[in-house]
Amino acid sequence: MSIITVKNLRKSFGSVEVLKDINAEIKEKEVVCVIGPSGSGKSTFLRCLNRLEEISGGHVIVNGHDITDSKININKVRQEVGMVFQSFNLFPHKTVLENITLGPIKVLSTAKDAAEKLAFELLDKVGLREKANSYPGELSGGQKQRVAIARALAMNPKIMLFDEPTSALDPEMVGDVLEVMKQLAKEGMTMVVVTHEMGFAREVGDRVIFMDGGYIVEENKPNELFSNPQHNRTKSFLSKVL
Amino acid sequence: MNIIMAALPILLQGLQVTLYIFVIAIILGFLLGLLMALLRLAPFKVLNLISKVYVDAIRGTPFIVQLFFIYFGVNSLHFISLNSTTAGIITVAINAGAYFAEIIRAGIQSIDKGQTEAARSIGLTGAQTMRYVVLPQAFRRMLPTITNQSIISLKDTSLLSVIGIADLTQQGQIQAAATFEAFKIWLAVGIIYFIVIYLLSILANFVERRFELR
Ligand SMILES: Nc1ncnc2c1ncn2[C@@H]1O[C@H](COP(=O)(O)OP(=O)(O)OP(=O)(O)O)[C@@H](O)[C@H]1O
Ligand SMILES: [Mg+2]
Repeated sequence: MSIITVKNLRKSFGSVEVLKDINAEIKEKEVVCVIGPSGSGKSTFLRCLNRLEEISGGHVIVNGHDITDSKININKVRQEVGMVFQSFNLFPHKTVLENITLGPIKVLSTAKDAAEKLAFELLDKVGLREKANSYPGELSGGQKQRVAIARALAMNPKIMLFDEPTSALDPEMVGDVLEVMKQLAKEGMTMVVVTHEMGFAREVGDRVIFMDGGYIVEENKPNELFSNPQHNRTKSFLSKVL
Repeated sequence: MNIIMAALPILLQGLQVTLYIFVIAIILGFLLGLLMALLRLAPFKVLNLISKVYVDAIRGTPFIVQLFFIYFGVNSLHFISLNSTTAGIITVAINAGAYFAEIIRAGIQSIDKGQTEAARSIGLTGAQTMRYVVLPQAFRRMLPTITNQSIISLKDTSLLSVIGIADLTQQGQIQAAATFEAFKIWLAVGIIYFIVIYLLSILANFVERRFELR
């Protein structure tokens, strides 16, 4: 059963088409990693999955909702799709706890105590309970990203989207964040991860999608794709990053 | 000194009028500015245009002309009758509102797009994103400029004396004429304005520092 279906997706910025006829299926509990050179459209593809980018053409069906339908309540769909950004985007004027409880309280109308209880559980999960009352400015990059993951999880999403979650981190912080993501994958979260971490893709990914020039060039199980790429563009990209 | 002491109660009465007009006008002006900033950023051309015309019209004309337009001009149409205090409050509010609109618009636009995206991605509506994420951060950044504009508006209220409002400046004029002690009276009036504005900036500094802690 596909939880995300992408059909003939197109996306243009002005006259520049950056996604050209993308087709993809993502199954429930699958971990799909998206790789490809800079500017190939990975982020744009990911951002079309929760309509952070207006979609120019085609269909994106997320958990049964066609989000290209302008009549759909996109906020409802976004509740089911968590997103983690390269630059964390924590709310700097709110404490860690408030960052995590904002969504549940305002969007899901969860009572404050219940939201805080959930937030502490999630903070335990990402190993940051003691930072509940800190402000984002007081955290390291790796800690910020783990809070951002907890914030997304607080909405109890069915799908998590990650856009290069470790690219802005110092090398020694990367491991902690990847560890949290591995744990999530193990618990059966459906995940779409744009990443440069080939090790993570190989270890955790069920499938890897290679994008170039606004197309999905090829996709395969990680080991297959890494050891036996079918297209020259994939080969040349992999030879640079592996 | 005796002359100033004798005039002081009357000057302070005038100060009360000044502060009364200022406080109401600045609150109204702020709300108007917020509304106009949101209109300016709304995804509808007509709303953008309304806000732009308003801001340009106010910024492109002198305060005193705006005051005369509202007090003499609008009243001359006879469909509404504004007393001088109401006309004064409206003018200061409309005037400050245009500058606030620009300050608030710039403040909102200075907040990183990632903040909005993060808020929307957890399912907040556009309005909730504004209210809980963008505006609180924008206001912190805007506070110094908001203080500045408030001080300008406070000083603008002194022009209301020309339509006969018994504010601090008007009382100063009356006292100066009555006592023939223009130097001392205007010095006293100046010092009173100065003190009020000084207190206002201390208050603003205090609020700013409270926010900076996070
Ligand atoms: N808001 C925008 N306006 C105009 N062009 C954009 C916008 N966002 C992205 N693009 C362009 O779309 C193309 C794809 O960008 P995208 O960010 O999806 O690439 P990416 O694969 O994520 O790259 P990277 O690895 O550098 O993050 C690029 O050429 C980029 O310049
Ligand atoms: Mg990207």
